[in-house]
Amino acid sequence: MIIDVNTYLGHWPFRKIRYNQAQTLSKHLDDKRVDIACVSSINSIFYKDTQQGNIELSEEIKNYENKFIPFAIINPSYAGWKEDFIYCIEKLNMKGLELYPYYHNYKLTDENSIELINLATDMNIPVHLPCAVENIRQKHWLDTDKNLSLEELDQVLAVCENTKFIISNGASHEIAEYLMKRKKLKNHNVYFDFARVEIFNDDLYKLIDIASIDNVVFGSVSPFQYVEPQLVKLQYLKIKDVEKTKNGNMKKLLNI
Amino acid sequence: MDLFKNNKVINWHEHVWLDDNGNLDEKRCELTVKAAYDTHMDLIVSSLPVLRGNPTPEEFRHCNDIQYEATKKYPNMMKGMTFVNPGYVKESLDEIDRCINEFGFLGIKLYNQYHISNPVVRDVIEKCIKLDIPILEHASKLNYKPELQPFTSNGEHFAKVAKRYPEGVFIHAHIGGGGDWQWTLKTIAEFSNIFLDISGSVCDEGIIEAANSYIGSKRLLFGTDMSFSSSIGKMLGAKISYLDKVEILNNKKFEKYLKRRGI
Repeated sequence: MIIDVNTYLGHWPFRKIRYNQAQTLSKHLDDKRVDIACVSSINSIFYKDTQQGNIELSEEIKNYENKFIPFAIINPSYAGWKEDFIYCIEKLNMKGLELYPYYHNYKLTDENSIELINLATDMNIPVHLPCAVENIRQKHWLDTDKNLSLEELDQVLAVCENTKFIISNGASHEIAEYLMKRKKLKNHNVYFDFARVEIFNDDLYKLIDIASIDNVVFGSVSPFQYVEPQLVKLQYLKIKDVEKTKNGNMKKLLNI
Repeated sequence: MDLFKNNKVINWHEHVWLDDNGNLDEKRCELTVKAAYDTHMDLIVSSLPVLRGNPTPEEFRHCNDIQYEATKKYPNMMKGMTFVNPGYVKESLDEIDRCINEFGFLGIKLYNQYHISNPVVRDVIEKCIKLDIPILEHASKLNYKPELQPFTSNGEHFAKVAKRYPEGVFIHAHIGGGGDWQWTLKTIAEFSNIFLDISGSVCDEGIIEAANSYIGSKRLLFGTDMSFSSSIGKMLGAKISYLDKVEILNNKKFEKYLKRRGI
C-alpha cells in the first residue's frame, strides 16, 4: 500500500495539467498503485479567498472518500483565516493544514502564521509545507519567484516544537541536514518526502540517515509530475522498513 | 523496469567529476556506473565539463584526461565526450583530434562558456562536421535568474546554428534540466538536425509526450545527467508508444557513432 502525501486538484494557470479532477486523478493514481492520496486545491493557491478552493475541493472529492484525504490551504494574512481553518477541520473533515507563504505573500514567522500553526497543533493536525509547486527555473513570468524559506522554517521550528511538519517537494536531504545542524530535528516531528531526492547517488539514504526511516514519506506531486520517478526510488530502496515510507509513517501521522 | 531490461539502452548524457584534489572522484563515478548496471543500461556516454568561468586549455585537457581515465576503468560501460572551451580555437581543435583519435571519444560536449550560435564556436562546429561527430551542448531556457548563466544556449541559439550548419548534428541537452521546456520544444521543433536528450531532474507530467509530439522519437535521446530516477521514471510513465520508447532508449541515428567504436 502506498499513501501519497502530496497531490493536487484544480486549475494551474501556467501550464495545462492532466488528471486534475477527482475522477481522473483517482484513476491515474490507481493505475500507479497509489492507494490513498493527501490532496489540496490548486485553486486555493490562487484565489484571494483560499476557502473557496477548499470548499470546491471538498465537493470534488465527496465520492472518493477512500482515495483522497483533503488538506486545507489557509492564508493566515487573509480575513477570516481562523474560522475558515476550523470549518475545514470540523465541517469538511480535512486532515491537514497546507501553507504557501511564497504565494500568499506572508512570512511563515508572522504572528498570524504562528497562531495558525499553533492552532493546528492544538487540534492535532499536521502542517504540510511544500517547498514549491513547480520547478522555479521554468517559472511563468507571473508565477512566484520564491520557494519555501529555510530561514523562516528554522525559526518556526524553534517556536512550534510540538507541531508535526511535513516538508515536501524540495531537496529534503539538504534541508534535513541544515535543520539537524541547527538542532531542529530533535523531537522527530518533522517529516520529509523524497520527490526531489535522488536514490542512485545515495542522497535518499543520506536523508533517511539524518531524518530517520520513521520520518520519510512518499510524495509524488501528482498531477504535476510523473509518479514513476518516485516508484523507481521505492523499487531500488534497499532498507528493511520500506513499508514505513510507503504508508506506515503517514498512517501514524494522520491516525488512520 | 522491463522496458529497460528488454531493450538496448544508451545513456547519452552523463558525467564524471573531479574530487577536491583534482583527481577522478572515484566514489561518485562508481555509483554512476553501478546505477547504470542496476538499471539495465548498456552504455553511458560521459563528459567532464567545467561549470563556472572560462576554462583554459590546460583545464579542459585535464578534464578529458580524467574522463579517459574513467572510460578505461569501465570500458564496457562508459565512453567519453570531449569537453572544450571554444574560445581557445586552436587548442580546442587540437584537443578534439586528441580525444577522438587517441581516446576513442564519441563526440564533443560544450557547456555555457559561449552561446552555440556565437561565431567563435564556428571552427569547432566545422571540425565536428568534418569528423562527423555529434555536439552535445548544455542548454536551457532559464526563466529564473538567467543572469547566473548568461551564455547558456537556448533553443533559439540552436535554431540559428542548425540553420547555418544543416549537416551538423546538435544535441540540445536535458529537456528536464529546469528551464521552460515548452518554449524549448517550440523553438527547435522544425530543425531536423537538432536532437534532444530527455535527461534532467524535472519530471513534469507530459514532458516526454510533448517532446515526442514536437520533436519525434527519432530525434530524442535517452540520458540521465545525474538524475537517474527522474529520467528513468519519465520514460516509464510517458504515455507514448512502446516503439517510440524503444527508439528513444537507443536512437538508431546515433548507432553509427557507436559502431565505429565497435559497440
